[in-house]
Amino acid sequence: MKKKFIPQNIISVLCGIASIFAFVIFWFIYTNGSTLGKMIPRPDVVIISLFKDIFNPIGQHTLLIHVCYSMYRVLVGYVIGSIVGIILGLAMGWSKVVEAIFSPLFRIIRPIPPIAWIPISIIWLGLGENAKIFLIFLASFSNVTLNAWTGAKNVDPKLIGASQMLGARKSQIFFTIVLPASIPQIFAGLQVALSSCWGTILAAEMVRSSEGLGWIIVTGGNNNDMKQILVGIVTIGIVGFILAVIMRKLEAVLCRWNKSGT
Amino acid sequence: MRNKPCVYITGSIITRKRPQKVKVKFLKKFMKDNKYLLLSISSVLVVLFVWYLCVDVLQVTYQSVFPGPIKCFQTLIKKLYTSSPDGATLLQNLLASLEVAMLGYVLGAVVGIPLGIMMAWNKWVDRFVRPLFDLIRPIPGIAWIPLFLVMFGIGITSKAMVIFLNSMIACTVNAYSGIQQTSELHLWVGDVFGASDRQKLFKIAIPTATPMIFTGLRVALGTSWTALIAAELLASNKGLGYMIQNGSAICRPDIIIVGMLTIGVVGLIFDVLLHRVEIRVTKGMNAE
Repeated sequence: MKKKFIPQNIISVLCGIASIFAFVIFWFIYTNGSTLGKMIPRPDVVIISLFKDIFNPIGQHTLLIHVCYSMYRVLVGYVIGSIVGIILGLAMGWSKVVEAIFSPLFRIIRPIPPIAWIPISIIWLGLGENAKIFLIFLASFSNVTLNAWTGAKNVDPKLIGASQMLGARKSQIFFTIVLPASIPQIFAGLQVALSSCWGTILAAEMVRSSEGLGWIIVTGGNNNDMKQILVGIVTIGIVGFILAVIMRKLEAVLCRWNKSGT
Repeated sequence: MRNKPCVYITGSIITRKRPQKVKVKFLKKFMKDNKYLLLSISSVLVVLFVWYLCVDVLQVTYQSVFPGPIKCFQTLIKKLYTSSPDGATLLQNLLASLEVAMLGYVLGAVVGIPLGIMMAWNKWVDRFVRPLFDLIRPIPGIAWIPLFLVMFGIGITSKAMVIFLNSMIACTVNAYSGIQQTSELHLWVGDVFGASDRQKLFKIAIPTATPMIFTGLRVALGTSWTALIAAELLASNKGLGYMIQNGSAICRPDIIIVGMLTIGVVGLIFDVLLHRVEIRVTKGMNAE
């Protein structure tokens, strides 16, 4: 069996490299010498400047420091949002009273995109870190709450009935049945939330910032520096990809019994 | 459920003895039956009241920082028929936003769903497209805006492209995992009865994936609505995002709040509508 699998892996890696390479070649041909090429830099220029930016500062910091700033904001907002979201979601799934109280408010707030909160958050929280963290908090909060809510609601009623028959207390039912049964759903929510938080960092740094990946793209746009924009986009893509992989691995370790697709 | 007949019986007994108490009992029964609905309504009312109390009565903050509910409501009504200060009434803004959102969304769904199905069904498509897709997927829609502005100009195309990317990704991911959920057993049954590859795809895999595809459509609707606001914040002269941006530029938080609530309510309505369609279309397709 093993012999059969290893070449398969190699083939898929090769195909991946080939397709990315083909994309880069396409990009190169498209921009090399054409009118569009005057505005959009060639891929080799972007890649070289990406490596240069690791050592040379853009603005005040080098690229890696920018990544760290963005990461710090994302993680703070994400952690707060997840904790609040998990608690609220579980409470909404567990108790009908809590659900009745919070679900209409939640359902109105949820479809409002974090970007639409920018003006309000500036007015309420000022231009500092708080407004950025608030935006990221919103992005993670709604995803996590929704997943925890459905997770806690869709617990197999047979299990709850069985435990009630065996005389479990309410707290016991919650901690030994509802919580473990909804963890896979919560994890799915956490994954989605992390990637949407990472997407919101740009919106958050549009508020006003002097560092971070969003800042790189926003200033690049203001200065019409396409190279800088593309460096920012590529870095956001790579870091987002790494974050998704880490979350997937974490899920595979923590929820071993549940294999979610991709 | 168990309580209901009891209440009814006691109600009728009391009716015979003391008819004047019927109304109270009825009210009580109504309260009991619609307890959760009433709780929901009252929670919204309580929030509105606290908002009113804090801003209008106690005046914790200035009206110019956080307007009260009455002012917001007045602005909403006013905005329905006047076009100041941003040059379009609320409905015109809403229609302009919807036009862009729908264009990008439909394109994204039309491209994304077949792409996801193909990626899950054909190994070679998966191998070639997946790495590129994984690379593009984590990049948020807003990050593309400066690039698309250069490529497609300031107009509906660049905005629609941002939305297209967002909705396509959600559709593809969900269609992909939907097809992958197809039970091996069902495919074997197809093999045994001599179904061709095409038949297996259309008769077995796609019906299995339909609920997931619909989930993707719903998620995509949410994300494209989100991306729309981002796109309009940057370059537009009409639309809800533009209205919010304008409200923030001239420091009118009431307009911002009206815009946000409109976005929220319209998003909610779309979600509910699509859910209705989903229930109707996927009836009996929920193959677990």
